[in-house]
Amino acid sequence: MEISRRGFLKISGLTFLGLMAKPGWEVVSQIKPIEPSPAPNYFSGKKWAMAIDLRKCWEAQEGCKECLDVCHRIHNVPSIGYLKEEIKWIWTIPYEKAFPEHIHDFNQEEYKGKSVVVLCNQCDDPPCIRYCPTRATWKREDGIVMMDFHRCIGCRYCMAGCPYGSRSFNWRDPRPFIKKVNLEFPTRTKGVVEKCNFCEERLVQGLLPACVEACKEKALIFGDLNDPHSEIRRTLNGRHVLQRQPELGTKPKVFYIV
Amino acid sequence: MVNKEQILVDKEIPLLEHVRRSGKGFYITVSILTALVLWGIYAYLTQYRIGLGVTGLSRQIFWGVYITNFVFFIGISHAGTFISAVLRVVKAEWRRPISRLSELTTVFILFFGVGSVLIDLGRPDRMLYAIRYAHFRSPLLWDVCSIGTYLTVSSICLYLALIPDIALMRDLGMKKRQWLYEILSLGFTGTERQWHRLEKAILYVSILVIPVMITVHTVVSYVFAMTIQPMWHSAIFGPYFVAGALFSGVATVITIMAILRKVYHLEDYLKPIHFYNLGTLLLAMTLLWLYFTLGEYVTTLYGNEPSQMSIFWSKLTGQYAPLFWLHFALCFVIPFPILANPKTRTIKGTLIASISINIGMWLERFVIIVPTLTRQRIPIEGAIYIPTWVEWSILLGCLSFFSLLYVIFTKFFPIIPIWEIHEGRGKSIMEVRKRIQSYLPD
Amino acid sequence: MYDAKKIIPGLIIFLGLIAFPILHNTVSGKATYSPKTELPKDKKECIEPKDFIRVNHKELLEDWKASVVRIGMRVYQATNKKRYTMSLNRTCMDCHKDRTKFCDQCHNFMGVTNKCWDCHLYPKELEKR
Repeated sequence: MEISRRGFLKISGLTFLGLMAKPGWEVVSQIKPIEPSPAPNYFSGKKWAMAIDLRKCWEAQEGCKECLDVCHRIHNVPSIGYLKEEIKWIWTIPYEKAFPEHIHDFNQEEYKGKSVVVLCNQCDDPPCIRYCPTRATWKREDGIVMMDFHRCIGCRYCMAGCPYGSRSFNWRDPRPFIKKVNLEFPTRTKGVVEKCNFCEERLVQGLLPACVEACKEKALIFGDLNDPHSEIRRTLNGRHVLQRQPELGTKPKVFYIV
Repeated sequence: MVNKEQILVDKEIPLLEHVRRSGKGFYITVSILTALVLWGIYAYLTQYRIGLGVTGLSRQIFWGVYITNFVFFIGISHAGTFISAVLRVVKAEWRRPISRLSELTTVFILFFGVGSVLIDLGRPDRMLYAIRYAHFRSPLLWDVCSIGTYLTVSSICLYLALIPDIALMRDLGMKKRQWLYEILSLGFTGTERQWHRLEKAILYVSILVIPVMITVHTVVSYVFAMTIQPMWHSAIFGPYFVAGALFSGVATVITIMAILRKVYHLEDYLKPIHFYNLGTLLLAMTLLWLYFTLGEYVTTLYGNEPSQMSIFWSKLTGQYAPLFWLHFALCFVIPFPILANPKTRTIKGTLIASISINIGMWLERFVIIVPTLTRQRIPIEGAIYIPTWVEWSILLGCLSFFSLLYVIFTKFFPIIPIWEIHEGRGKSIMEVRKRIQSYLPD
Repeated sequence: MYDAKKIIPGLIIFLGLIAFPILHNTVSGKATYSPKTELPKDKKECIEPKDFIRVNHKELLEDWKASVVRIGMRVYQATNKKRYTMSLNRTCMDCHKDRTKFCDQCHNFMGVTNKCWDCHLYPKELEKR
């Protein structure tokens, strides 16, 4: 029987495919779903939120940084030392920058320059998570916007997506800049994005976020918005509170009492 | 058979000269380019080792030269498709000598467009996570898909139009490289059936690549337009970026044409009329670019939205004013009068305009990306971005690598498609006559 | 055979180069080396049988990682119904105190890098720093 080159290639190709079928199917049939199916009961029913009573905060003595320090300490946030590569989870900015829409010519004297504690707003409709190409940042069912440092590729698109500038990037290896490492929390590598996680590692132990616990003035109030009797609901009830740039539709879950 | 090829080649001697012979200039060019590429690689390795902190980027301005390069390079890649595919589809006969060099620009520069994003990653070792954990809500994934498609289709486009010339090289017998041409020519012998299939394939791919081209730069612009950052979040960004891409792409092709013409003595093939025609196209692009730029800035001005205005004024009168007005001068004020006057639409004139536009368009991308980041709604002082040597070296390395690939390509294949010229001299003249007659009343 | 004079010496050189690592290790005595992992003295059993851990420790740790970070489940129930906290430095490193004497032994031998320690710290390493 005469076989042309083309015919030979066809037959050998088909044979090869046939031989591949079984091992191929075995590989495909064994692929596990990459993401373990979420177990809803771990977070269900909760919706964490924070309220910051700025009046109490302003009454405290000048330069009180308890909440900032404790957060950065327990989360191994490096203090790089210069503005360019700064990493911060919770920090202060002047009132007119936090609430540009609430400052006008006639309340300047009273409010201008007063420092406002800011952190990730843990938005109910977070824009940042839409941009992550690997789902390394996502909103958990209890409303916490999480970061998976194992998965972040460092494209910084989430930073472009966040209108509040709540995210920091590790421009170099952070470890040499951490004074005392807290073993309960991992450090990060160079090249990943990080931000406030509402102390989810403390919430799971039944503790309050570190900043809330550290505040001597009790200016920070934390709780579950879904529980009508929680302290945060009682605080927010019937009161006029501010959110940062709510007009962007992000529905921030950090509220400010002025 | 050999005689027929020999006659064809004797007629188009300059087209094969650069494949056959390499002078001193070639070796000098290759060594300089290789040195620059190695320097770029060294710069990247430094960044890989220490982290992105070696760049001028900061917490505030976290995207800079690399993302500018990404948009700019992907923009340039539009030239190939536009000039080759669009002109092929509309049967513009003057495209013949420039189709390959523009397709080649597309394919090679795309690597650096994609590469720029990878260079910008904080964890390049995890880059494949974007596929493993692909999250299609992210516009970056749309980019991965559209640029991947574009690279595939434009490579096929380049290759198909290369086959007859590879076959020609094979038949001429090039001693050492015979085996290469043997494989790449896919057994093309120039029978009527093969020609028919090839022409059909080229036409289909040319039509297919046009929508892909439009999509690619639209999606690149969406990376910015889909965020809520002031002066990025704009519906006009899709067409604005596509127009800018074609603008810088055509300018790049003119620049490359002028260089090749000089270096490889292609004066008989790349004639002033080609520069004149492309110059006219570039003039149209200049005006289109002006139209979009005005549209973008005037609507922002009239909206008078505070967060937008702070960026707007930082560009027009503030920190970024020098760059903004420089880019405006380079993109419009300098090229427009040169291109608008038929007397200056010469080779030299279009070349000057093209170089000006290329620099201007790089700056345009920079001025679109960076100022927005300085005041992400919460103005923060001290956000100054000065690119470091690492970033400039990598930009230089990318450009050198591109040129190096280009130079090496011309040592293997003729840069002007011999078969297209041949076809133009013979078959097409008859066809064009018939076509024109068919337009007219009998 | 054509060019036998070139091909046969070429083949010998090729085989020599290919076999060089094996020969080198045989001569230098490295071929008989096997990694020595230091097992904890006070603990008798790992969370799962030794054979399972040897083969599947990577998958196990990856499952833990996904489970803690992405699902929020932090308790692992072993096949023998005992419960453990899913934590590298609190559970694994509680027994295997020093990674250089345990993990790195095999990992270095096999030339497999792991990036756990870029972020995760354990008490012993902290002392060293």
